[in-house]
Amino acid sequence: MIQAHNIHIAFNDRSVLNGIDFSAERKKITYVLGTSGCGKSTFLKVLIGAFKPDAGAVFYKDTDITKLRGRELAPYRKKIGMLFQHGALLNSLTVGENIALPIREHTALDDNIIKIMVKMKLELVGLRDLEDLYPGQLSGGMQKRVALARALALDPEIVFFDEPTSGLDPIMAAVITKLIADLNRLLGITCIVVTHAVDEAMRIADKIVILYRGKVLAEGTPQEIRQSTDPLVRQFITGSPDGPISFRASSKDYREDLLVR
Amino acid sequence: MKNFFGYIGRAFITFLQDLSGLFYLFLETVGEAGKLLFDRKKRKQARLLEQVDEVGARSLPLVVVVAALLGIALTVLISFQLKELGGLNYMPGFVAVAIFREIGPLITAVLVAGRVGAAFTARIGTMKVSEEILALETMAINPVRYLVVNRFIGMLIALPALTLLANFTAVFGGFLFGSVRLGISSDTYVRETLEVLVFRDLYSGMFKAAVFAVLIVLIASYRGLVIEGGAEEVGKATMSSVVSSTLAIIVFDTLMTTAFYG
Repeated sequence: MIQAHNIHIAFNDRSVLNGIDFSAERKKITYVLGTSGCGKSTFLKVLIGAFKPDAGAVFYKDTDITKLRGRELAPYRKKIGMLFQHGALLNSLTVGENIALPIREHTALDDNIIKIMVKMKLELVGLRDLEDLYPGQLSGGMQKRVALARALALDPEIVFFDEPTSGLDPIMAAVITKLIADLNRLLGITCIVVTHAVDEAMRIADKIVILYRGKVLAEGTPQEIRQSTDPLVRQFITGSPDGPISFRASSKDYREDLLVR
Repeated sequence: MKNFFGYIGRAFITFLQDLSGLFYLFLETVGEAGKLLFDRKKRKQARLLEQVDEVGARSLPLVVVVAALLGIALTVLISFQLKELGGLNYMPGFVAVAIFREIGPLITAVLVAGRVGAAFTARIGTMKVSEEILALETMAINPVRYLVVNRFIGMLIALPALTLLANFTAVFGGFLFGSVRLGISSDTYVRETLEVLVFRDLYSGMFKAAVFAVLIVLIASYRGLVIEGGAEEVGKATMSSVVSSTLAIIVFDTLMTTAFYG
């Protein structure tokens, strides 16, 4: 469905992605896991065409979307939906208008039909009564669900999720996780989820890809990942503070760094 | 010294980058505005009247008060000089020409840049920082079309209209001072004004207002769209939006005045 080959990207000479190969299959849930700052959000932005990689290609069906510019990306983007980490709802529009926006922009449907569609999308995320409120009046979890309804507005083939459960209470996190699973099982939507929530991934993923320092560390089914003997993978899935993954971000030698000045 | 040249060089490169960015934004905005004007459905969605209201109607009290006060101040200064020379009867025409050609368009544009331009930058910048702009792009909605074009058209309608109103208010301020303090009869004042003021003074001022409208919207939107980072950057960009649009207005004003009357 979507494949990335050898993605490299660097910001201000600091390399963030170092040759990532990735593929997500149709109608499956693929989780991209990684520690904070391992480049997973950047990778997601490459997949939606927001960042151009320095090298590499991203294929959707037979098109390399990294070669498309501006308007040429529109057909691809109408096929995808994206749930942003903080929702990214337009604050000047009501919940209903936010969801109606992509429908209004890309179809010639009548206002009454759009209203019905908005209600249906909101029902999917269980928030049908909130149509006339503004995003600022909603809790974080509700905003995320509304954002999900908006991502689903054009019946996308793929939905990307950026940290869908971070910053939510455990119940709301479970609700969102269940929504992702339902979208996939009931509507056949391909889901690509970027997160550091390991438990969630183990529960619903068809495939897990673990990123570490801008590279793919491991990939496989939750079962395979759980049985991995790689110490890095072990440390990551058990969430242990001790192990080969250091909490120190510096690459320089500590003693040298102190003595040089 | 090396640092100094380095600083100048970097500032110049940034300036050139901004200039080319503004140029592309201008092309994109004009192109999208053209499309919008021929598409009834999109025109309705763009809520142009709301923008005219935001730029025009809500700036009205400020513009009227400032224009009236400036009209009076200008009349005081000019009449003082002319009285010395014994040519007080030239005063009304003098004041009117100065207002229509120069002061009306300039002061209206500066006020609107401070009030509306700053708000555009802050608004668009906040959307950029909170990923709303990226969300629009991901939904295949062109942010320039969605955020800039309606403001562009609204400003192009509202700023010339405001300028016209400012012109008449300022002239009226001068008229009040002339008749109350200097004892010039209203007949004479109107006659003297109309004798000097020609149609060209009016439309050259309107042309200026249209150019200023384009400058304000483009600079304000550009400053908002290029923000990277957080809330602090929004504050900085808002400030630099007001500074650079005011500067651009004055530079273009000088160029146009020289071209029309120089």
